[in-house]
Order: sequence, then C-alpha cells, then structure tokens
Amino acid sequence: MPRTGYQDDLDDLREDVLAMGQLVLGRLDDGLEALRTGDESLAREVAEGDATVNEHYLELESRCIDLFALQQPVAGDLRFVAASFKILTDLERIADLAANLGRYALAGDESLVPEVPVGDIGTAARDLVARSLDAYADRDAAACRAIHEDDDTVDALCGRASEAVARDLVEREAATDAWELERLLDDVSRLLLTVRDLERVADHAVNIAARTLYMIESDPELIY
Amino acid sequence: MSETTQAEAERTDAETAPDQPLETTSGETEEQVREEWREYAFDGRTKLAAEDLDVHYSDDHALKGVSIEIPENSVTALIGPSGCGKSTFLRCLNRMNDRIRSARVDGSVRIDGEEIYQDGVNLVELRKRVGMVFQSPNPFPKSIRENISYGPEKHGDLQTGLLARLLDRSDEDEREQLVERCLRDAALWDEVNDRLDDNALGLSGGQQQRLCIARCLSVDPEVILMDEPASALDPIATAKIEDLIDQLSEEYTVVIVTHNMQQAARISDQTAVFLTGGELVEYGDTDQVFENPHSERVEDYITGKFG
Repeated sequence: MPRTGYQDDLDDLREDVLAMGQLVLGRLDDGLEALRTGDESLAREVAEGDATVNEHYLELESRCIDLFALQQPVAGDLRFVAASFKILTDLERIADLAANLGRYALAGDESLVPEVPVGDIGTAARDLVARSLDAYADRDAAACRAIHEDDDTVDALCGRASEAVARDLVEREAATDAWELERLLDDVSRLLLTVRDLERVADHAVNIAARTLYMIESDPELIY
Repeated sequence: MSETTQAEAERTDAETAPDQPLETTSGETEEQVREEWREYAFDGRTKLAAEDLDVHYSDDHALKGVSIEIPENSVTALIGPSGCGKSTFLRCLNRMNDRIRSARVDGSVRIDGEEIYQDGVNLVELRKRVGMVFQSPNPFPKSIRENISYGPEKHGDLQTGLLARLLDRSDEDEREQLVERCLRDAALWDEVNDRLDDNALGLSGGQQQRLCIARCLSVDPEVILMDEPASALDPIATAKIEDLIDQLSEEYTVVIVTHNMQQAARISDQTAVFLTGGELVEYGDTDQVFENPHSERVEDYITGKFG
C-alpha cells in the first residue's frame, strides 16, 4: 500500500488517543475514589497530577497539526484527524474536571446533603466516557447515538441533585453563627460544583461521541 | 507527451488494470452510488453535457459510457490516476480527439444544448468557443503582442499590418485594446505592459502559461479546458494560475485536469473522479468528494491507498 509512513502515523494517532483516553479515565476513577473515601493522599495526587495529561494532549495536538500540514488528509482520513483533534480537547477537559474532584475531596466531605448521589452521578458520567472511547475505537455509530440519549439520564440525576441541595438549604434552620454560615456556603457551593463538573464530564463524553459519529459517517447531527 | 504517446500510455494502463471491488463507503452498491451522483444537482445552468460518451483507441476502450453535466461559470476538476481517461474526456469537449487517427468517439457532447458530434460542425468555430491550455506553456515564438492578436487576425476579426493600413482599414486601436484586455484578464498586464514587443519565449514559465491563457481569451471563448496547466510551474507561479482560474470562472466555464488533488480541492466547485478503466466513478461538489466520497474506490484513491 502506498504512503505507508502516513498510514502508520494515522494508526499511531488512533492508538495514542485511546491511550490518553485510558489515562484520563484513570484520573477520573481516582477523583471519584477520592471523593468517595476522602483519601487525602489520593485526592492530592489527582488534584496536582494534571501535568502528564497536558503533556500528552499537547504532543498529540501537535501531531494532528503536522498531519494536516504535511499530509493534507482527505475523506475518511480527514474526518479521523479532525475528530481526533477535537476529541483530545474533550479528554483534556475531562482530566481538568477530574483534578477538580480531587480538590473538592481535599476541601471536605460531600455528605452534606445525603440525598445527593454523587457516587452514582460519577459512575454514570464515567460510564459514558468509557463508552465514548469504545465507540471511537470500534467505529460504532449506534453506540455514539446511544451515548447521546443516555446523557439525558445523567442530566436528570444532576438536575434532581441540585434541587435536593436547594431544598435542603431552604429546610435547614437558619444559621445564626456567622462562621457556621460561611462554612455552610462553602460546602453547598462545593457540592453544587461537584454535581456541575460531573455533568460536564458526561457532556464531554457526548462531544466525543458526536465527533466519532462525524468521523464514521460524516454525520454532524450530534455536534449541533 | 504527444497525444499519440499519451493514448498509448492510457492503453497500457487500461490493459494492466486489475478488477476493482464493487464496494462503497456507505455499503451501497456502486450502481446505487452512481444513481446518487447522477441526481447531483448543482446551482446554475448546464453549459456542457456529455451523455454515454465512449472513446476507443483502436480496440482499447479508453472512456466508458461517461455521462456528466457541467455548470456554467464554474470550475470543474477532473482527477484520477494516469490512464483513467480524464485527458481523453477533456479532449472530447472540443473534439481534439479527432486529431488522433485511431480514436473513435461515440455518444453525445452538447454545449448549450447543441450537439458537437454531428455532421456540419465547424471545428474552427468550436475550438474558438472551447479554448484549451496545455501542460507545458507553448507560446508562439513571436512578440507578446502578436501572441494575443494572432488568433483574431487569423480569424479575420482584426485587420492589421501593412495591407490593412494601405487600405485604411487598420484595426490597430482595437488590437491594442484587445491585447491589454486579454493580458489584464490573464493577470499579466502589469508585468509585461512595457515590453509587448519582446519575444514571448523570454518570459518565465509562469508568465508564459498566463500568456497562453491570455491568448486563449483573445478569441472570446465560452469554455476553457486546461490540461494540468500548473504542473510545470513553481509554487508562486502555480498560485497565480490558481487565482487566475478563480477569476476566470466568473465569466467562463473552466474544466481542468489535474494530478494535484490539493489543487483540485483548492480551486474547483465540482470534482469528477475517473478511475482506471475509463469510468467516471464519482461526481459532485468538491467539498463532498474530498470530505465524504460515496465510492470506496474514490476514497482509496484520494487518500492514497490506491494501488
């Protein structure tokens, strides 16, 4: 086959995007674990360990730009490199959000409002990320569409969680102590941020599925 | 390459071509894909239409049942590997294949609905309407001015020279206007207006090619056929030719054969892909063909997996 070096570059890119995906999934797992257990050392490691992902991200982004500039990919190759280029950004953002989870775990526990199922939301969001990477690896268009639909479940969980926090605040007896009030505000803000970040993790999984669908079928329906 | 030698090269490639799988990127049959692009609708009016066009060189079938409609005032790129029939198709559009003794053309080519393969067609008039620019710049070994005015003078559209002056019928002013207009339209005027009497062979390759385009414009064509017009030029000269093609498409219908797929992607509105065996395999908007070709054979060709 002609252009074997170019074909090798495309194969390598695909494998390395998937490897970065596994790295990011690992960070997400660690972030969720730190939230669940309150393990300070793990939380610190996740919060401060974003540099490795960023290095991968910049290196892979640079390789995509080289492919555009030097090989001028077209057709399926063009869609693959363009999709990968965008997916890298989503992966890097998921790693940032995982680092946030580490920071929240360091700041305090998430059991302020017991009705908020942070662990369940985290698992659901994490599951969408893993499935989006599988869809990219297997070129599975049906899986991309299913991920888009299943994001509604995560959105619903997050919506209910935010409501539960608001309801809890209203029902809670007004705090008279200024220091207590300040702490309560911090905890509530952190809990809401946790829920929002997990929702965003799921949104990035949908983005990955959308770019993957474009890569497979040249169909931009999920991008918009 | 001379026309005869090129025909032989196409013959050789066609003979050695392997059978191609009938696969498409969407899982449809190749016939379904063809039906899709046959229904391809472009904006604007049809300038050229070929229908069931077949070309044989002796016993070799160089072009097989090509049907295509080309819109007016646009750039249509013909791409494909060597020997796929794209230059053969281009030469059908102004009956240049008539010059190859072994060539036999069957089918129809219409310009503005008018059949060009019928008895009584004036080939000189046809080639005025459908001009051609070749791979290697081939200006006449004459002055820049004479290169432009040669055609109109030959056709009797301009009266110049000693006899014309003696008879007081000189069209000198018209000639100067024509030379300036054609050189301006070919984006060459600013570079040569102070040396119109210089021999055209003293110009650079890129300037010579633009002079050939200017010469082509001098007989007021409607269609311009270009057979790899920039393949012998450096990137700067190529960029100027590409800009020029873009400008020309506002007034003319341009059909260009190119081996440079990035060039086809850059400059054309529609792309037609011919593959080995003389078949037109896919035709559509250029962005569609380069982002999402329907045919797997076209995908393999444009991504470099062909072969």
